[in-house]
Amino acid sequence: MDKAPVRRVRRTASGPSSAATTLPAAPPDYRPALLLGSVFVIATCGLIYELIAGTLASYLLGDSVMQFSTIIGAYLFSMGIGSWLSRYLGGSLLRWFIQLEILVGLVGGFSAPLLFLLFEHVSSFRLILYGLVGLTGILVGLEIPLLMRILENRFEFKDLVSRVFTFDYIGALLASLVFPLVLVPQLGLIRTSLLCGALNVVVAGVALYRFPETRPFRRTLGGALVASLLALTVAFGYAERLQAYTEGLAFQDQVIYTKTTPYQRLVLTKNQRELRLFLNGNLQFSSADEYRYHEALVHPAMQALPQARRVLVLGGGDGLAVRELLKYPQLQHIDLVDLDAGMTHLFQHNQMLLELNQRALLNPKVRVTNADAYQWVRQDTSRYDCIIVDFPDPGNYSIGKLYSVAFYRALEQRLAPGGWAVVQSTSPYVARRSFWCVAHTLEAAGFTTLPYHAYVPSFGEWGFILAGRNRHWRPDAGPLPPGLRYVTPATIRDMRFFPPDMNEVPTDVNQLNNQALVRYFEEDWGPYAH
Amino acid sequence: MPSSRRHFLQRAALGGAGLLLAPLAGLHSCAPGSSRSHIRGSMHGANHTTGHLLRDPAQLPAPTRTEVVDVLIVGGGVAGLTARRELERQGLRPEQVLLVELDEQPGGNSRAGRNAVSAYPWGAHYLPVPDPRNHELLAFLREAGVLTGTDAASGLPVYNEYYLCHDPEERLFLQGHWQNGLVPELGVPAAEKAQIARFFTLIDELRQTVGSDGRDAFRIPVEESSRDEQFRHLDSQPFANWLDEQGFTSPHLRWYLDYSCRDDYGATAAQVSAWAGLHYFAGRKGRAHNANGADVLTWPAGNGFLVEQLRQQAHSAIRTDTVAFALHQTPTGLAVDCYDVAARQTIRVTARQVIMATPLFITERLLAGLPAAARRPLPVHRAPWVVVNLTVEGLPQGPGQPLSWDNVLYGTDSVGYVDAGHQGLSLTDAGPRVVTWYRPLSAVSPDAARRQAYQTSYDDWVRQALAELETAHPGLTTQVLRADVWVWGHGMVAPTPGFVWGAARAAAAQPWQNQLFFAHTDLSGISIFEEGFYQGQRAARQVLAARGAGVS
Repeated sequence: MDKAPVRRVRRTASGPSSAATTLPAAPPDYRPALLLGSVFVIATCGLIYELIAGTLASYLLGDSVMQFSTIIGAYLFSMGIGSWLSRYLGGSLLRWFIQLEILVGLVGGFSAPLLFLLFEHVSSFRLILYGLVGLTGILVGLEIPLLMRILENRFEFKDLVSRVFTFDYIGALLASLVFPLVLVPQLGLIRTSLLCGALNVVVAGVALYRFPETRPFRRTLGGALVASLLALTVAFGYAERLQAYTEGLAFQDQVIYTKTTPYQRLVLTKNQRELRLFLNGNLQFSSADEYRYHEALVHPAMQALPQARRVLVLGGGDGLAVRELLKYPQLQHIDLVDLDAGMTHLFQHNQMLLELNQRALLNPKVRVTNADAYQWVRQDTSRYDCIIVDFPDPGNYSIGKLYSVAFYRALEQRLAPGGWAVVQSTSPYVARRSFWCVAHTLEAAGFTTLPYHAYVPSFGEWGFILAGRNRHWRPDAGPLPPGLRYVTPATIRDMRFFPPDMNEVPTDVNQLNNQALVRYFEEDWGPYAH
Repeated sequence: MPSSRRHFLQRAALGGAGLLLAPLAGLHSCAPGSSRSHIRGSMHGANHTTGHLLRDPAQLPAPTRTEVVDVLIVGGGVAGLTARRELERQGLRPEQVLLVELDEQPGGNSRAGRNAVSAYPWGAHYLPVPDPRNHELLAFLREAGVLTGTDAASGLPVYNEYYLCHDPEERLFLQGHWQNGLVPELGVPAAEKAQIARFFTLIDELRQTVGSDGRDAFRIPVEESSRDEQFRHLDSQPFANWLDEQGFTSPHLRWYLDYSCRDDYGATAAQVSAWAGLHYFAGRKGRAHNANGADVLTWPAGNGFLVEQLRQQAHSAIRTDTVAFALHQTPTGLAVDCYDVAARQTIRVTARQVIMATPLFITERLLAGLPAAARRPLPVHRAPWVVVNLTVEGLPQGPGQPLSWDNVLYGTDSVGYVDAGHQGLSLTDAGPRVVTWYRPLSAVSPDAARRQAYQTSYDDWVRQALAELETAHPGLTTQVLRADVWVWGHGMVAPTPGFVWGAARAAAAQPWQNQLFFAHTDLSGISIFEEGFYQGQRAARQVLAARGAGVS
């Protein structure tokens, strides 16, 4: 686990309160030691909650320096609020302390599972995140002042300050070492969070049963304590499954989101540099270089159609192709058809992904339909100036049907006169026969084809095929939108050139009754499968 | 109270015995041991209660009214429907023709059903890509939208891709693994593989072979095949004997050939003739621009699709639930007494010509009132079949090739199942689907098998089907929503030795006095769509010729 550098400035001095407390005199010796031990545990857990929040924020929201810095700031500030609030606590301080520990255990313990769960459902995830960080910070901020007040009469002030902060800082050191080296690799974020929660509750338990003055409220607090411990333990048991699930060995980076829809398994992973989406274990895009893929997919066709008004996108539920399309202000309507509602919903609601696709799927020009593309294309009656076909690779018979002559004939019915379709066609370098099979299949359906390819570092050489009814296409037909990072008229010209190792090879035509492409694809990619 | 105490003891003893026996009952019910009580469905069948009215026609009422038509067709299977279509194409007006069918809908062995999940076949379910020389069949397919054009360069027909069976087409469950294709390969010893290769080399040769009369040795329709004695003599011995003689002894090959015979003829390689066994393979000469000779055309409803197309391509009346039960001669033609099952009354239909598009055992009963010369006493070996349509929530898959159109389990009594949803274009295999499981009852004599089949309960059929399918799809039983069972008591003709090239078959197809004509695959000896179509075309043409010659 390569963690972001955690520079740590621990704790503003939370001034010891001067409020006097009335603890019975002459307690047995071991009890101050017990409380100092509690300081150690509390400090460790408190820092770990902060680390969890920082890590999660950088996983889920990206930009780890920014996330860590703001999370730490917010957390420390909240601790300050907690310290300040501690002055208002009076009466039985031990009782307050025990209640506080149970609360910290619950809030801190469930923070990671809660954030993972809410990430999917909540549009303003940041608000929830900082709310939770603030709440945990306030509670943790209350702990040390409260403990110091409890210990106030048992030590000299200079001893008290020295001992409490010694344990506090040792706990912090332990936490900062154990968190990246042991806890996250061994337990994962969710279980780490739950484990710390349980430790806080155990601290509460020790205090409750070791101090005779807790007798009057032992019964009520004991019930809450057992219930909390039980809840954390149950969650811990569940988390194991969830964690094993999300942090499958297949992914080298931290898995930040997973969802199994009726059609596929979506997995988002994240490291410092990039966000990656995997569909059924296959890389769909990396945020680091997806612009190359999507610019190459969209602009060679669109620049040839300065009059285009209506566009159809098949597949592409991530909205990234639509993002490129929306750079053409003359477009009036974009129909996006993606089978998987889970996919389009994610890219319409998740903060980080909305930033990536620039809220493309929420644009009023865009109509998102969750339907089977094949049925949809056969039932639809309108025509489109441009059709972007961005299906998954033809790795199985069901998807192979979407690359068949019959499908392309149906597609041709949807293309306006003079329009262009573009088809993502796997890698002409790795899967040379597959790529040219798609080209030949489009030709068998009556299209004129213009194959081209682009280098996308995450994918390697990737192929696309322009398909239209005529040959009136130029790499510099119309103006390209400003701000493109990859595609220029010169790039387009270059992309059309196929060196000998990717050049055309004879292939069969992919038909529903021979699925030639699926077989080519299996054979072509076979040597690359692990 | 002693009596109630005794009662209690009795019940306790019974309960105890029940507990002891329960595991045995569980063992018996079916190996994977999941309950079938959640499965709904019912028993269907070519209406044998209606059909069996023919056994005692005397009890049917006397005719209460008379109708007059030019041509009456008795029987609404593929042959009858083809004749109806052809008569109209050749100029008869719809009102001149009437077709009567005893079942509630036409289709014969190509009947189909439908439920909320899918249409599905009850019998025949595919048409091999036809021989392009079969022009009439091609014309029908063109009209039906199955054939969409002709490739300019090759001159070969282009078929509608949605109807050509999608890949993956066939798989075989062998050694616990689904292999691609039905010819056993997985774990087959080299010596057996060599025999299999030799067999198919021989078939390729036979497919090209032409007899001394210039005709193909094997061709569809059967009638177009060579009369050359060197091929005809293959009709005199069982296929199994011939295979023994030729040294084709590989158990895997023999299983496959037996499977093929059961699949197309409902009879084993020991029951059909060598000519028929070879014709199954060497007679297929399909060619197409966008398919190869081994490809087939199929639909969710199976050949129910073709039946519907035949029906739609003509307009004359079809009267279902109507049992023709007796024919008489009249001064101007023939009178046919037809019992309307719904109205419970008999109508006498007089016609100048009658086409008997019925299986010969029915024809035999209907013609009982005519002179001996009109009758067609041709004994036909006819195996019963059972077909089970299973509506399943999902189909747990084993290792190997994914779910295909035709799925066969090596070494079983059935001929496997087809997936009605195979031609669907959906991206996902999830969700309910219908699979159709076929089992010819070819193990014993047809009559005994038929009696036994009629006595077998719905529950027994479902149990047998699931016990077999569970071996390849463990846990399937829990996924079954419906199981519908159809028992075909009289299945279809099997080309037993001497049947195809015997004199009796040729004689049976001859018209009688320009009044009575015969059209049924029984008269071909091979029950496939192409033969039914051929028989219907032939009979229609004979009728037209008779009308042209004899009447004007």
